[in-house]
Amino acid sequence: MPAPSFRALQASNKRKTFFLLFSMGVLVWLIAYVAVSAFGGSGAGVIPIAVLISLITVWGSYFGSDKLVLAMTRAHVIQESDNPKLFNLVHEVCIASGLPMPKVAIVQDNAPNAFATGRDPEHALIAFTTGLLEVMDRDELQGVVAHEMSHVANRDTLVSAIAATTAGIIALISDILMRMLWFGGARSRDHRDNQMPIFLAIIPLILAPIAATLLKAAVSRKRESLADATAVSFTRNPAGLRSALEVLARDNTVVAARSSAVAHMYIESPLDASAASRLFATHPPIQERIATLRAMESSGI
Amino acid sequence: MDFTVIALAVLVFLVIFAVLQYNRLIRLNVQVDEAFAQIEVQLKRRADLIPNLVETVKGYASHEREALEKVVQARAASTAASTLPAVAAADGALTNALRGLLAVAEAYPDLKASTNFLQLQEELATTENKVSFARQFYNDNVRTLNTAVKTVPSSFFAGIAKVGEREFYEVDDPAIRNAPNVKF
Repeated sequence: MPAPSFRALQASNKRKTFFLLFSMGVLVWLIAYVAVSAFGGSGAGVIPIAVLISLITVWGSYFGSDKLVLAMTRAHVIQESDNPKLFNLVHEVCIASGLPMPKVAIVQDNAPNAFATGRDPEHALIAFTTGLLEVMDRDELQGVVAHEMSHVANRDTLVSAIAATTAGIIALISDILMRMLWFGGARSRDHRDNQMPIFLAIIPLILAPIAATLLKAAVSRKRESLADATAVSFTRNPAGLRSALEVLARDNTVVAARSSAVAHMYIESPLDASAASRLFATHPPIQERIATLRAMESSGI
Repeated sequence: MDFTVIALAVLVFLVIFAVLQYNRLIRLNVQVDEAFAQIEVQLKRRADLIPNLVETVKGYASHEREALEKVVQARAASTAASTLPAVAAADGALTNALRGLLAVAEAYPDLKASTNFLQLQEELATTENKVSFARQFYNDNVRTLNTAVKTVPSSFFAGIAKVGEREFYEVDDPAIRNAPNVKF
């Protein structure tokens, strides 16, 4: 099989993201259907509450993403005079991608890692740990910068906000309905012919939130693969990013200010690898990413 | 009555469609202009770095007249060029001349160790990358525009929008296009 080009990889990852988000939409519809058919009027009442809570919490953080993330990761924004070389690299990738210059931040941490955030390219922020800046050479750093700028170009803050909202809606509906079930809220309802028996409703109520979490993780993994492919479309140098990922794979230190809330944003998962199984992982296995980039190198992109 | 409503709806749809196609072509054409302006900005930046570089190299390797002269001449040619093929040709010549000069500089440890030269090295590396990324971005934009001009349905509106195919920015040295990361 010939190695796929970055253009084919970009298209395939975008298609898969769309399919996954579509599946999440179907899941919301399914859980709403269960809510209405098993719980009648009170079930229907739960849906707008869940949608509202999920929208407010997730989209609040989406709009304030750059400021919120700065506080959560203890990153501080730097000026061009603080690190002219890093600004040169970011500016190079901006020229290659046609994106506006983002804010650049530094995290005081020995673990090499980087992340991007911001609701749109005009409010983008990319951050690097001091450990990353120390261990990587110019080409490797350029690969990392290109990967982060790819998240900005592909609007991954928006994509993950959509995924988080949908997963949140599903989790909330299931949670509220399970509580109603527990406290006997549904028993008082008079059973009509078309009403679903309660015991049948329990299975989707338990499984839907798990499925939503899995889909959300799958979306995150696809966006990482997409960012790798987009990074190559910016730099046309898969070797730089591949070498950077190899440095990250060799490194065993973990980010100090880590949290599962921001895990999906990093270039490499900041969480302990053994803590999460492959299905729940926010990132594709790093060896797989390295292999894809190596294939692009040998095929001359 | 029904017929006129349908006809009107179809007409409105067609007008919206035509406007969207027209605007897209104009936008793509403007993007190509902007991308070309970016190349010129970066070429100007590089040209501005050269006097400083030449002075620094002269201080340690004044008898490398040939390599120095080539760079100075190529710089003069690149600042004079205005049309796309001329700019591209001068750009390629200057890139090659710079490579030659930096290869010569390898033989002078004192020069390589001087603070001025070390500062110039990062500046040159980033400028060379910026030039090649600007070229690449321009060519990507030209590719998108040319595809739109040649493919249905946007090709129908190319004449009305007065938008045609644009020239790619071709540099003589094929290695430059394939390897944006020039090492100094």
